[in-house]
Amino acid sequence: MDLFLQFLANGLVVGVFYALSALGLTLIFGLMRVVNFAHGEFYMLGGVVGWFVTTYLGLDFFSGLVLVALVMGSFGWAVDRFLIERVRGQGEEPGILLTIGLSIFLVNITLLAVGPAPLKVARAITEGPIFLGPVTITKMRLLAMVIGVALIFAAHAIIHRTRLGSAMRATFQDPMAASLAGIRTKQVYAATFALGCTLSALSGMLLASIYSAQASVGGLVSLKSFVVVILGGMGSFPGAIAGGLLLGVAEALWGGYVATGMVDIIGFLLVILILVLRPQGLFSIRAERA
Amino acid sequence: MTLERNVLLGLGVLAALLPFAVTDQYLLHLAVMALFYAILANSLNLVVGYVGEFSLGHTAFLGTGAYTAALLSVNAGWPMWAAVPAAGLVAALFGLGIGAITLRLQGPYFVIVTLSFAEVLRIIANNWIGVTNGPMGLAGVGQGGIADKRVFFAIVLGLAALTFYLSYRFVYSNAGRAAVAVRENRYVAQSIGVNPFGSAMQAFVLGAFMAGLAGGFYAFYISFVGPEVFRFSFMATIIIMVLMGGKGTLVGPVVGAVIVTLLEEYLRELQELRLSLFGLIVMAIVLFLPNGLMGFIARRREQRGDAPSLSPAIEERTV
Repeated sequence: MDLFLQFLANGLVVGVFYALSALGLTLIFGLMRVVNFAHGEFYMLGGVVGWFVTTYLGLDFFSGLVLVALVMGSFGWAVDRFLIERVRGQGEEPGILLTIGLSIFLVNITLLAVGPAPLKVARAITEGPIFLGPVTITKMRLLAMVIGVALIFAAHAIIHRTRLGSAMRATFQDPMAASLAGIRTKQVYAATFALGCTLSALSGMLLASIYSAQASVGGLVSLKSFVVVILGGMGSFPGAIAGGLLLGVAEALWGGYVATGMVDIIGFLLVILILVLRPQGLFSIRAERA
Repeated sequence: MTLERNVLLGLGVLAALLPFAVTDQYLLHLAVMALFYAILANSLNLVVGYVGEFSLGHTAFLGTGAYTAALLSVNAGWPMWAAVPAAGLVAALFGLGIGAITLRLQGPYFVIVTLSFAEVLRIIANNWIGVTNGPMGLAGVGQGGIADKRVFFAIVLGLAALTFYLSYRFVYSNAGRAAVAVRENRYVAQSIGVNPFGSAMQAFVLGAFMAGLAGGFYAFYISFVGPEVFRFSFMATIIIMVLMGGKGTLVGPVVGAVIVTLLEEYLRELQELRLSLFGLIVMAIVLFLPNGLMGFIARRREQRGDAPSLSPAIEERTV
């Protein structure tokens, strides 16, 4: 039973980051309908830029996090304005190919710049375990998890409390009506993409401070984020969070009780199951059938 | 239709003459790889170009074919002429199973679920050490057989001829036209009695069969099969070939396969920059050649007011 609680705690910690990254993808994939295969690369860049600003610019962890958010936000904005905007409204295929090209480019440029070795992001606080009853968790993990949860609430506030957020919701309900009402939809699309990119990058930096950042990690992250978005339901905010936590816990339990080698298979099996049994996802906002 | 057939026949004759003109082993290797990729791109094109659903799990069939041929050869000592068709059949069976689940889905869901199947198979191949030998892979497939690359070239050319003949017959059959009708307008097609699931399933299984043949050939040619055959980067290469050449045409994937094979090879000169440049080229193609090379040629022909374009699909899209 103690072991079970420990697995559950580990799963929840990882799940928060899955949720954060998937939240970014649910904006880009679920709402904007861009099947973004460069999403994992945004995550990876978050970790690598975080490593760069903490190691070379000598920033502490928190100002590093803010800088990463700014850099990756502008990067996402530029990607949307210069690349995605040109294929908007042409179905999924051009977007898929464009983001595959982008991801190949980003991975290899990063490999060229920093090499394939794992990179350590400076820690915010000293490492040390905390004991919560039978469960042990390190301080850094707890802090990263708290920041992750705070970011999830911040994203929710942006979407539901700000003018930009209402412009977003209007645009994704009906782009034509939104632009007639005076919303600059191009800016809204770019802002949504930038927000999605930032969330993924911050998740990457937070996880890099627990484990490490690596240029080649992106592919698997993209796939897992897709899995989480489909599990939760396209474009659903609570769905992405529940899906992320579910995937984190399921992986931790599978790794603990069944087989560590096959942990990554869980997400794909879940997604196949969910699309056979409940195609609209766990928490779809529309009754949209796959 | 006739133009497409004649171009394919012409390319086939040219390819058949190649081994008489070229004896360099390296160039022959490139030719073999280009034809291998042409088969794969053609098989994927049946799903992407004619059914109109974007499958990212095609490596599932390539991989099952390659593993089937490798296991039959290594464990049971099957010769190539028996193992490669068996690989195609096993891949077709997988196509039947996977298609039954995935073809009920559309759009992004189809994309992600096909991809999930390929990933599941990759992880199984990586971990089921008793059968697949895990990450070490299966080595020594069909050892001690053929040394001359020209023989391999003849075999892959024969396979390519077979698969293109099958696709040609499929595309211009009732089932193929039904698939195109569903692609263009699902509801109209259904209203005139086309069963979308049935025609898509035929294309999907045929594509799986051809990818399995290609996989079986690959196992014997490289004489090694590892979990990499299921990898997404393999998938990305095939997708790029189809879209660069022009989906929904039979000639397009051949052109794409030749260009990408040569491009990947000659960009090697640039070493580390190779893949970054490759990524940039892919992005440039999406932005500047949205219908692939064949789409570009078709549009040029239309602008000059020439004969009908290569495929009705492209015509409609460029209008």
